[in-house]
Amino acid sequence: MLVEIENIFKSFDGLPAINGVSLNIEKGERVVILGPSGCGKTTLLRMIAGFIHPGKGRLAIDGIAVADNGRCLIESEDRQVGMVFQDLALWPHLNVYGNLEFGLTAKKTPRLERGKRIDAILEMVQMIQFKNAFPGDLSGGQQQRVALARALVMQPKILLMDEPLSNLDIDLNLRLRKEILRLQNELGITMLYVTHDRDEAFFLATRIVVMGGGKIQKTGTVNEVSEYLSKLSGD
Amino acid sequence: MARKCVFWITILLFIMIGLAPVAAMLVKSIFVSGELSLKNYAMLFKSKREWTLLFNSLVLSGATTLITILLGVPLGVLFAKTDLPFKRLFAVLFVVPLIIPSYIIAVAWFYFLGRSGTIAGIFGSKAGILASSFLFSFPGTLFVTASVFLPIVIILTMTYLRMVNPRLEEAAKLSAAWFLILRRISIPIIKPGIFLAGLIVFILTAGEFGVPSFLRFDVFPVESFIQFSAFYNFNTATAAAIPLGIITLIVLVVERLFLRKKIFQFRLTKEAMIMAPLGKTKPLFFAAVCALVFILVLIPLGVLSAKSFSPWAYREAFIRSIDSIFRSLLYASIGATCLVLFSFILGYLLERKAIRFYYAVDSAAIFLFALPGTVTGIGLISLWNTQATNFIYASMCIILFGYIAQYTALGERIMAATFSQIPHSMEEAAQVVGAGWFRRLSGILIPLAKRGLVAAWFAGFIFCLRDLGLATMVSPPDHDTLPVRIFTLMANSPDEVTAALCIIMVVIAFLPLCALALAVKYIARHGRNQNKFRCAQTLPRAMRRQAENANF
Repeated sequence: MLVEIENIFKSFDGLPAINGVSLNIEKGERVVILGPSGCGKTTLLRMIAGFIHPGKGRLAIDGIAVADNGRCLIESEDRQVGMVFQDLALWPHLNVYGNLEFGLTAKKTPRLERGKRIDAILEMVQMIQFKNAFPGDLSGGQQQRVALARALVMQPKILLMDEPLSNLDIDLNLRLRKEILRLQNELGITMLYVTHDRDEAFFLATRIVVMGGGKIQKTGTVNEVSEYLSKLSGD
Repeated sequence: MARKCVFWITILLFIMIGLAPVAAMLVKSIFVSGELSLKNYAMLFKSKREWTLLFNSLVLSGATTLITILLGVPLGVLFAKTDLPFKRLFAVLFVVPLIIPSYIIAVAWFYFLGRSGTIAGIFGSKAGILASSFLFSFPGTLFVTASVFLPIVIILTMTYLRMVNPRLEEAAKLSAAWFLILRRISIPIIKPGIFLAGLIVFILTAGEFGVPSFLRFDVFPVESFIQFSAFYNFNTATAAAIPLGIITLIVLVVERLFLRKKIFQFRLTKEAMIMAPLGKTKPLFFAAVCALVFILVLIPLGVLSAKSFSPWAYREAFIRSIDSIFRSLLYASIGATCLVLFSFILGYLLERKAIRFYYAVDSAAIFLFALPGTVTGIGLISLWNTQATNFIYASMCIILFGYIAQYTALGERIMAATFSQIPHSMEEAAQVVGAGWFRRLSGILIPLAKRGLVAAWFAGFIFCLRDLGLATMVSPPDHDTLPVRIFTLMANSPDEVTAALCIIMVVIAFLPLCALALAVKYIARHGRNQNKFRCAQTLPRAMRRQAENANF
């Protein structure tokens, strides 16, 4: 089991955001959390990343507890987690290479290896020719690829994606979905993807978790969830 | 049409009040005995003393900028981004030297390091001589100017750090520890803000009159003042102001070329800032900040308080300055209100690019802000000191004109930053429902920009209240403000009375800020209560609706 989430709770200003959620994610899985705005899906993702800590419950990554009953046991930088943010969060003062190099430098990766890993991942996302470009000079799709490459270059145990395609037009959205799928298949990386878009979820997931009101409403395969959602809207 | 009229009237008034005096001063300086001549400037370039003054001004400004950035950026980071205990209190304490007239800090240090100061009292006269020779030298002047302008860098570093998108730091947090994130991500992102802080410190130090004048360090603003007030040598005083004008223009070009667009990229974010825990190093940083506060703030204030500790001194100080105290408060209040009016319109022009020449108007405002007060003062005198305009020259109007010329840029930038937070669509939505510009102004823009307006008023108030260079030059008889009165009385008054006057100045500078803090607290509490009331009213209705839906 790569990620174990055991009965976690989280509230903000007394209002519950996560209300007793338990979830396990296997290695190599593509899990998509689907739900409307404010259902707690991003909060769950940010708890796995270590930006916020659960008020109650236990969270473990690769068998090691990272948070337990309100205590943070392992900080974000040591969790080996990659993340693609909704607004991408590319550092505007660093070029593409600099954006990818930052994390590797922090982890004291030797210079030669850094170069090799960055080149390889940029080849993979077809951005090698933009190595020296700054984020501001890239198109939306190109920025998306760089954000993905920045997360992948660290060889994380799990890749977290917080509605990364929500701000793109439909054509680009479809193209990048395929791209994400291709990369995940090539690298075999575990992926936890958050979205409110059913099509996106059905396209990308091997398993879908439907959230609502801070709780998990349904977990299942694409077919099972599709059936559940049809029934729900039929009622 | 009404909109354009308001814009052009404001611009013309600003040109008349701010730019015309500088132009008049330049014209006068190129006429010698009624004939066109560059003799004054030729003399300026030949004189060795002028070059020394230029060197002193540049070195003092450069060194002050460097030191304030080296100290102010880490302090700003500590106060804005870490869990340092009492960080709010520290931030307030560090701001004290900026709020009061700068020479008061110099006076305080004189009582501490002077030949008969505290150090001499404790360690003997030899130590006093040594300490005094340090104070009345370049390092001493640098120490005082750096402590006075340090808050600018601290405040701007804190402000710009608050504008950094938290996602950028979170993205870095996935692989790096906080020290590296601050060094490689947060601080490089706010580099334009740090440059801006450096630029402001540089121009304020270049135009600083009070500290170098008290510590007898020769710089251009002091020279202009001496040539004008001691020898009434108008032409030499004007010519001595020219190098400062050139420095100001260079600074302005730097600001235009490298900073302006980058600074406007920053936007306030409603998201909470992520805090960097100091961990085990917390006691170390706490001790370092305590030591700095003690040296830069508590020693000067403590020395002044101790020196003035006698009812006689305060009684005497009040007798000698009561009229100036009221005048200072009155002029600063009227000045700040005028500044808000100009700043509102010019800030709107700048942010909304409402007319073609918005860029030129902004440049003029920045130029006048950067010009030393003594120079602006000479300009105002050269324009308004005529028989026909004596009603302006001999009244408080001349001081108010000076305030408007000098400090409009400050409020203009605050208002421009405020307007940048208000989406254009807010105004457009009012426009499409048929509201004219004045209605949009009163019903939409002013209510939405009220925080910016209050901030601009207080910034204007503080700068008007602490002004010395400009007010010394232009104050008509019986119109002197408290900083000018203290500066004049200092030479002939007992130390205790001077110290008491300085403490009174500190207190009156703080009174409006305390009032603001109390008002903010009251509004926050009142607002919260109102929200609770609103919730209590709406909750049953919402619950009722929910129940109705459930039944349905």
